[in-house]
Amino acid sequence: MKLSHVRPSTLAVVIPSVAVLATLLICALFAEWLAPYDPLQQNLMDMLQGPSAEHWLGTDDLGRDVLSRMIHGSRIAVIAAAEATGLAVLIGVPVGLFIGYRGGWWDWVTMRLVEAIVSIPGIMVAIVIIAILGTGLHRAMFALGILYSTAFLRLARSVVLTEREEVYVRSARVIGASPSRILVRHIFLNIAPPLIVQVTLTVGAVLLAEAGLSFIGIGVQPPQASWGTMLNTAAAYMELNAFLAVPPGLAIVATVLSVNLLGDVLRDSIGRGIRLPEATPVHVPASAPARSRSSEPMTPRADDALLVDGLTVTVSPKGGQPVPVVTDMSFRIGRGETLGLVGESGSGKTVTGLALMGLIGAGGRIAGGRVLLDGTDLLSLPASGLEAARGSDIAMVFQDPTTSLNPAFTVGSQIAEVLRVKQGLSRRAARDRTVELIDRVGIPRPAERADAYPHELSGGMAQRIAIARALSCGPKLLIADEPTTALDVTVQQEILDLFRDLQDDFGMAMLFVTHDLAVAADICDRIAVMYCGEIVETASVDRLFSHPRHPYTSGLLSAMPHGASGTPPLPVIPGTVPPPGSWPPGCRFASRCAHADAACAAPVPLTTAEVPGQQVRCVHAAALTLEAAQ
Amino acid sequence: MTFAIRKLAYSTFAAAALFVLPATADPAGTFRFAEQAKLITMDPHNHSGGGFSYLRPVYESLFDRNPDGDIVPVLADSYQVDGRTVTITLKPGITFSDGTDLTADLAARNLNRVIELGVNAGVKLAEKAEATGPDQITLTLKSPDPSIIDALSGTAGMMVSAAALDDPALDRNPVGTGPYVYSPEESREGELRVYTPAPGYRDPEAQGLARIEISEIPDNTARLNALKTGQVDLAIFLSSPQAAIVDRTPGLKLLRQPGGTTYHLSVLDREGTQVPAFADPRVRMAMNYAIDREAFSKAVEFGLSTPATQPYAEGLWAYDPALEGRYAYDLDKAKALMQEAGYAEGFEFTMPSIPIFASRLEAVAGFLKEINVTMNIQTVEPGTLARRSRTTDFPATNLVWNNAIDPKFVTTYYVAEDAVFNPFRIKPDPKLTELSEAGLAIADEAGRAPIYREMLGRLAEESYMIFITTTPILFGASDAVATNETVQFRPGTDTPYFAGIRLGN
Amino acid sequence: MLRLIGQRLLAMVPLLLIVSVLTFSFTALLPSDPVDLIIGDRGSEEQYQMIRERLGLNEPFVTRYVTWLGQAVQGDLGTSFFNSVRVTDAVMLRMPATLSLTFASVLISVVVGLGAGVAAALRPRSWIDRLATVGATIGQAVPNFWFGLILASVFAVSLRWFPATGYVRLAEDPAGWLRSITLPALALGLSTSAAIARQVRSAMVGVLQQDYIRAARAQGLPARRVIFRHALKNALVPVVTVLSFQITVLLGGALIVEQVFAINGIGSLAVAAVRQQDIPMIQGIVLVLVLVVMAVQLATDVLYGLINPKARPA
Ligand code: SF4
Repeated sequence: MKLSHVRPSTLAVVIPSVAVLATLLICALFAEWLAPYDPLQQNLMDMLQGPSAEHWLGTDDLGRDVLSRMIHGSRIAVIAAAEATGLAVLIGVPVGLFIGYRGGWWDWVTMRLVEAIVSIPGIMVAIVIIAILGTGLHRAMFALGILYSTAFLRLARSVVLTEREEVYVRSARVIGASPSRILVRHIFLNIAPPLIVQVTLTVGAVLLAEAGLSFIGIGVQPPQASWGTMLNTAAAYMELNAFLAVPPGLAIVATVLSVNLLGDVLRDSIGRGIRLPEATPVHVPASAPARSRSSEPMTPRADDALLVDGLTVTVSPKGGQPVPVVTDMSFRIGRGETLGLVGESGSGKTVTGLALMGLIGAGGRIAGGRVLLDGTDLLSLPASGLEAARGSDIAMVFQDPTTSLNPAFTVGSQIAEVLRVKQGLSRRAARDRTVELIDRVGIPRPAERADAYPHELSGGMAQRIAIARALSCGPKLLIADEPTTALDVTVQQEILDLFRDLQDDFGMAMLFVTHDLAVAADICDRIAVMYCGEIVETASVDRLFSHPRHPYTSGLLSAMPHGASGTPPLPVIPGTVPPPGSWPPGCRFASRCAHADAACAAPVPLTTAEVPGQQVRCVHAAALTLEAAQ
Repeated sequence: MTFAIRKLAYSTFAAAALFVLPATADPAGTFRFAEQAKLITMDPHNHSGGGFSYLRPVYESLFDRNPDGDIVPVLADSYQVDGRTVTITLKPGITFSDGTDLTADLAARNLNRVIELGVNAGVKLAEKAEATGPDQITLTLKSPDPSIIDALSGTAGMMVSAAALDDPALDRNPVGTGPYVYSPEESREGELRVYTPAPGYRDPEAQGLARIEISEIPDNTARLNALKTGQVDLAIFLSSPQAAIVDRTPGLKLLRQPGGTTYHLSVLDREGTQVPAFADPRVRMAMNYAIDREAFSKAVEFGLSTPATQPYAEGLWAYDPALEGRYAYDLDKAKALMQEAGYAEGFEFTMPSIPIFASRLEAVAGFLKEINVTMNIQTVEPGTLARRSRTTDFPATNLVWNNAIDPKFVTTYYVAEDAVFNPFRIKPDPKLTELSEAGLAIADEAGRAPIYREMLGRLAEESYMIFITTTPILFGASDAVATNETVQFRPGTDTPYFAGIRLGN
Repeated sequence: MLRLIGQRLLAMVPLLLIVSVLTFSFTALLPSDPVDLIIGDRGSEEQYQMIRERLGLNEPFVTRYVTWLGQAVQGDLGTSFFNSVRVTDAVMLRMPATLSLTFASVLISVVVGLGAGVAAALRPRSWIDRLATVGATIGQAVPNFWFGLILASVFAVSLRWFPATGYVRLAEDPAGWLRSITLPALALGLSTSAAIARQVRSAMVGVLQQDYIRAARAQGLPARRVIFRHALKNALVPVVTVLSFQITVLLGGALIVEQVFAINGIGSLAVAAVRQQDIPMIQGIVLVLVLVVMAVQLATDVLYGLINPKARPA
């Protein structure tokens, strides 16, 4: 972990922690020089004094200087931590390596022993071991070392077991390499990071345990000054001088806290090294194109189920400026009509769907526009009004049925809950209606299935349940977000058929979000193609497939698998979708467009093409010759 | 040498203790007492160390001390000492709470058991007991012992019923002749002992209470809190910050009882088997000089005790004014002695401790550190210090000397080769043995005093007993108990008489 | 569910056996001869042999173990070396205080941990989240007995709201019982509260990002209902795991916190037994503690099955 890469918040943790531990270490090493008094130098006439110029932390019951005792106590703390942790490593790691390597009977017996020890409260194990060894710092630490060795033992063992598997698989391919030699090398490479983390955890635990054992009088023995024994004394003089308990307590807290915090940081940084690197946070250029030039406003029509006009959504990354993710989004869906919203991932189509529901997550914000559902602007509704509309007037089906159903409840109860909350049905009525709905979405033995948990159902079945739930209150608009993507190909068609069937029945409008033009073509009446947070082309399915007017649409069509032949899609569009915040100021497709020229450098509005109902966002739309679907 | 037959007034100590008794009062009320010692055993013959109170409601001894400190007969009627022969006549008609009678045979069996067990140092000189008449037992001594009757007024003289003697669980099922019986059902091990009036007890007047509860609260703060909140009416305290708090808490009184205890260290390994330095008297003297007793009394004992360089406090017959200030704090002298002995660099040893002695020992350790002696403190379970001090587990120990007991016990406890707290079996200076024997041969205190003073003086030179402070016996009491005249304390013992206590008004 | 319990119970038998062998052989390693400790130096060789005989120490180790185990199965853990107190009675007498304390602190940890964790998770990076995170981090570094001392000095010594010491038995005086264990349970529950709060927060943040939460919101279910019914039930799954692990920590901590408040629980019994090297007592205490741990783990397993349908055997 290079320091330059460490976040400021991490540094704010690391610097004080290291400072505390460094102070501790210095106190431990140079106690004789640092302590103003001998820690055992008593002055019975000056006992139990509060802090003063002579005794910064006051004096204890025998008039000994508390500060000096604290400083000497830090030496005990360091010795305790070093002894117990060192012993734990020395016992745990070799034994763990051995049983992990050896396996079989040795492994079995040792692990059962470890399980048994772990099932006894740790302090009790320490107490028993101290009973055998006797009290005193070193013996108590020996006890703790044995106790905590179990953690290292398990760690070492699991590293061996993992590496063994890997190495033997690999060495089978590399002829001539001795597997055990590779194993040894691998183990030593791999054990270090978790070992370091475990050491910090153990040090914190040891410090607390030492204090506890000394406190009950079987750890460090007085008059030796350990923070635990000082607390033991403080307990006896609580009524006379409660301050005595403060310095040793705070010292323990500060030390353990520092060790724990460093451990957390180490674990995070080491963990990060193993895991895939996370996407680098988006660095937002100061002059991010907030919006493209607005297209002409939409006028409501009588047959609109949904009218979206100029919708803009922004997202604020951690500590950054808001970044637009959807801009100038305008479209309409007629009653009973299905509009497909098609685009690559990252184009903003899912965000659009969620925005309509008012469900963009933390950090997201609808920065402008209207969403008229049956003439009512959802965005102007108060939170309660929107909540009332959700489920009743507008509902959503998500991509992965196995994650969109709550694993902790039966599927029936999840549908019934909606009916009871939204429609005020009785428990009984809700149950009956639930079974009906489950039946309606084509699931055999509906009453029985209602009592199943999501994980007991197949993906297709679960998606049917999710659909039944979405439709339970008869919404006017159903948003389906990639509802078939997560399913088997064979099931996909069934679900699409179900949608069509249900739409005939329920008569709702549908916004069908998909990345798959073929699926959209199958179920939609019209298609809106999205790219970089805006619609680049809208047209009826036939028109779009036969006469795409936008280079991007054309590219998508070329990439489609060809009919039923199953030929894989060809990546005919070079480059990748620029992430939000990095959109070019002009046509957002310009960087990938073969037809880009200087005219494309200015923001492009969505304009109606030659055919009514077809809209295109391309300055050259009228002029280009584009490839259509085959 | 023959003593006249002493016929003592036929009285229970309860009657002696009481000034006014309500004419006829049924047992009423619960008396709640808090012990600081844990109950180890309720078998009186195996009993050692603290926690005498647990036995007192159930057992009676052949003799007892009245509140004035005089020995009075309880189960005995009279006694006669003739050299090595002690003849004791039993009071007739004594019955145990299990309905059986106290016969001479049984009394002899009890005494022989005490002698055989050897736990009780008071009967070290006793050889055997036998029934020599229907109501008479004869105790034969190995050598004359002027304090044998005193011994028989404590646990050694407590009579246990025949059935209970056969019970392997006698330590939890005591059966005696006392005014109360132990109720195991209502008691909670390690917490609370409950006693109820013994049916058919010969002196119903002594049974003033419907119930006695003795709580086992070793934790000073907890005992103080129990007293403050009225959970107990009376509690034993040693000099501790908590006792000082009792003294200044409204509604509570700190009762300082005569007698008291002298806290001292005892070097057990004085031939240097484990700690060679201990073999040198100069080292032991240096330790004696290194302790600042004034400061110790003020600080560690909160001014509740006074400095001591000998076992007895001023005013007691064995006290020797000449020893006053014998080991006045003198660090230079101490260091010089260490230098002389060749231990200027010091040495290390381990001292057993119980929680109530913790701060005292830490203070002692602090003083000894000044002469480079490192004293490690090892905590043992409360109630086991006396027992552990009889073993060679530790080269030195620390105990309290009860001011009420006869000075001959200095020998039997610490000096004699077979002394209780001489686990290394070190032979004493013949002169000391001689003096001890001389002290036993004389009966009257005036005659014995010079002998014991000489002995204590010699002991001070050997300096293996390092006396530190004398503390009166401290009880924390609620105002009601403090002003209740029926609550009386046995001199020199950390226990009230339970017999005779009445509550009310 | 019954089958789950049955399986778990069966799985405990070998573990208990190992624990019993372990404690039995551990205590056989004690350095000093128990007989010496019992009779001190006054015993004759005869007495010594008599006591050895009575304690069965002349038998070979395996015979002693089998005898002990046979009696233990019948609930007889033997008799203390130092008095005629039966280990079973002593442990049972002290157990209620320790268990009261442990379970009261479990309750406090769950309430505090859930509250803080949920509050923090609902508004990540808000002041309440920071407060809870900092609090939880510190909470895990504070020694429970020290926290107990501080609580006692503030709420018992100064304010006199609670007793500073002692334990009142539940059957005797329920209100007094509650007052007597409040401070100790708070002291003991601190670090577990912190552990649970951290766990709840991260679990809850994870759960709140789940599709099913969004889906429930998309169904127009009220936010409160979604959080406390849909999200919490799922976030509780790891909490139960933490709790099952924390129970040994809490029981161990109780042994120490008891001493702060002068509560006569297993802690003082154990420390006394260790100081006296009272072997049967140590063995009995360890065995009973392990039994308690196992019982609690069984209970948490059942609870786990109840809130996590995937864990139930089909
Ligand atoms: S505006 Fe220009 S860059 Fe954009 S799609 Fe049309 S031709 Fe390509």
